[in-house]
Amino acid sequence: MHPGKPDFSLLDHTADMGILVRGINLKNLFEEAAKSMMYIMLTYAPGIEETHAVKVSIKGNDLPDLMVRWLGEILYLFEGEKTVVTDTFLSAISPSQLEATLQTIPFDPALHEILREIKAVTYHQIEVAEKDGRWEARIIFDL
Amino acid sequence: MICRKGPLKPYNHTSIGADMEIKLEKLDEYRWLIPKTGPMRVPGLIFSNNKLIKAVKEDQSLTQVANVATLPGIVGYSMAMPDIHWGYGFPIGGVAAFNLDEGIVSPGGVGYDINCGCRLITTLLSADEIRPIVKDLISALFKNIPTGVGSTGPLKLSKKDEARVAVQGAAWAVKKGFGTTEDLDKTEDHGAMDGADPSLLSERAMKRGKDQLGTLGSGNHFLELQVVEKIYDDQKARDFSLFEGQVTVFIHTGSRGFGHQICDDFLKEMSMKIQKESIDLPDRQLACARLKSDLGRRYLSAMACAANYAWANRQILMHWTHETLLKTLSINPEELGMNLLYDVCHNIAKKELHTVGGNQVMVCVHRKGATRSLPPGHPLLSQIYRDAGQPVLIPGSMGTYSYVLAGAEGAMTQSFGSTCHGAGRVLSRAKANKKAKSRAIHRELEDIGIFVQSKGKRTLKEEMPEAYKDISQVVEVVHQAGLAKKVARLRPLGVIKG
Repeated sequence: MHPGKPDFSLLDHTADMGILVRGINLKNLFEEAAKSMMYIMLTYAPGIEETHAVKVSIKGNDLPDLMVRWLGEILYLFEGEKTVVTDTFLSAISPSQLEATLQTIPFDPALHEILREIKAVTYHQIEVAEKDGRWEARIIFDL
Repeated sequence: MICRKGPLKPYNHTSIGADMEIKLEKLDEYRWLIPKTGPMRVPGLIFSNNKLIKAVKEDQSLTQVANVATLPGIVGYSMAMPDIHWGYGFPIGGVAAFNLDEGIVSPGGVGYDINCGCRLITTLLSADEIRPIVKDLISALFKNIPTGVGSTGPLKLSKKDEARVAVQGAAWAVKKGFGTTEDLDKTEDHGAMDGADPSLLSERAMKRGKDQLGTLGSGNHFLELQVVEKIYDDQKARDFSLFEGQVTVFIHTGSRGFGHQICDDFLKEMSMKIQKESIDLPDRQLACARLKSDLGRRYLSAMACAANYAWANRQILMHWTHETLLKTLSINPEELGMNLLYDVCHNIAKKELHTVGGNQVMVCVHRKGATRSLPPGHPLLSQIYRDAGQPVLIPGSMGTYSYVLAGAEGAMTQSFGSTCHGAGRVLSRAKANKKAKSRAIHRELEDIGIFVQSKGKRTLKEEMPEAYKDISQVVEVVHQAGLAKKVARLRPLGVIKG
C-alpha cells in the first residue's frame, strides 16, 4: 500500500482487530478504509512496476453492508488472486451500490512483507455514519 | 430492516467498553447465570471460576452470550465455556443448540475457519532421546510443512479432486497414501461429515481451496513437538496409549481459505435475505437462516465441504510430519511408533441427539471455539474409545501446556456434549504487541526449553503466552464441572508457526 499511515485508529478487540476509519466524505471514507485494511495486512516498498487498473461494481443492502462487501472484494483479490490493491478511486456511491477503479499489482514477496492474515471482514458491530459533516466507519476483522 | 434492539450496548466511537451492565448470578463455584431479560429467549450459562470470570467481564463476550440467546429456536441455555472471549457475533467458547422446527443455523456461530481443530499423535520416542536434536527436528518440520499467511503447498488439486476432498474428507487423503484407514476411526465423524455438496460452492471458494490443502496457515495455528509431563488418570492414559516422558505431536489448523470463503459467501447471502426471515438481529454478524429453509440446508452442506477439507488437511500434515521425523531421526516406522490418538474439531454446527426437557430430540449444536466431549459408551464413538470416552484435545497457546481430557457424562447433561477448546485470549493483539515491544519472545521461550520457528514477524509477539488465559484454570473448570476429565498434560519442546 501507499507509504504513510492512512487516517484510522485501532479498536481494542480481544480476539480480532477493529479499526475506526475517517473520511472527509463518503467516497473518501471507503477509499481510506481500503487503505487501512491493506496497511494492517502488509507493507509495501514502492517499486517501478506498473499498476493494473481493475473496475469493480459492488452492491449491498445499505452502507454498512456495502462497506463489508467492498473490503471483502479487496481481501479476496489478495487471498484468492494474489493481487495487491495499491490504491482505489470511487467514481460513484449510493447506499446500495458503488463503482470504483482499483490500482493493482501482483503480490511479490520481495516487495511486500505480510504483517498478519485477515481471514475476513465481519459484520460484527459494523457502523458507517456521518458525524459533524465527516464520515466514520467502524470495522472489525477476523484474524 | 434489521432491528437493533435487546442486549447490544450502544457503541462508543473511541473505545469499546466492558460488560459491566450484564447481570450475572453465581450459581456455584463453576457456573454463572445470565438471567433471561428483554428479547432473550433462554438464559445464558457461563462455565468459569472466580478468577477467570473477572477477565470475562472486561470485554463484550457476555453481551454476545445474551445476543445469541435471542435467536429463534434456541433451546436450554446460550452457553459459554471457561475459555470464553469476545469474538464476532457469537463469543469464542460459545455453545448453542437450536431445534429443527423454528431454529436457525448461523455461519457466525461456526466461524470463518470451519472445522478449525486439532490432532494429537503419539510416538514411542522419549523426550530425553530427542531433546538434543529438537532444533534440527523443528527446522526440518518448518521446511517440510508449508506455513504462513496464504501459504500454498505442493498439492495442486484439480476441480474433480477438490470436490472429492470436500465429500470424502480424510478418507480421500488416506486413499492417496497419506496415512491409514485406522486413522479414520480416530477422527471425529470418521473425518467426513455427511451431506457435503461441492456443487453449492462458489468459484472463489474452489479457487482458494485448490492449492491450500496440506498447509498450516498462520495466526494461532501451530505444529508442536511435546512431551507428556503429567498423567492425571492412569487407566485412561493407558486407554489413550499415553505415558510420562513420551513425545507427542500436536497439529492445530483448519480449512484455510476454502473455509473462510464458504463462510463469507453464506454470511453475505444470509445478510441479504435476513429481512424475509423476520428475525430481529442484535448484531449483523449473527445473520442466519432457518434450519429447514433451502438456504439453511445449503449452508450446512457447504459447511460440511469445508469441515471435510480440514480433516483431509490435518491428515496430510500428519503424514508429512511422519516422513520428516523418520528421515531426520534416521529410524524406521516401528521405532518411531507414530499413532494418531484423535482428531477433534472446535468450529462446527452439527445435528445431534440430545435430551431436552426429558426427551431425546435432534438439535443443531453450534460450537464456536468449543470441543465435542462424548462420554464412555456413547454410540457415536468408535469401538476403540467406547470404554474410555472421547479423547478431548485442548491446545495451549504457544509456549504453554496442552491437555488431553476424556469426554464425560456431565457434558451430555449440561452442555450438549461440549467442553472448552483452548486457553482463550486475554490480551488484544495491540496490547500484546505493546507488552512484547523490544522483547525477543523466541529467546524467552528458548530459555525455558521451547524452540520456536515462525514465518510471520508479528505472530510471535501477538501470540505470546501472556496474551492468553491460564489454560490450567480453564481445564480445571471443565474437569470440576464434569464436562470432561483430565487425563494428561503436555509440555511443548518445539513449535512451528505461520
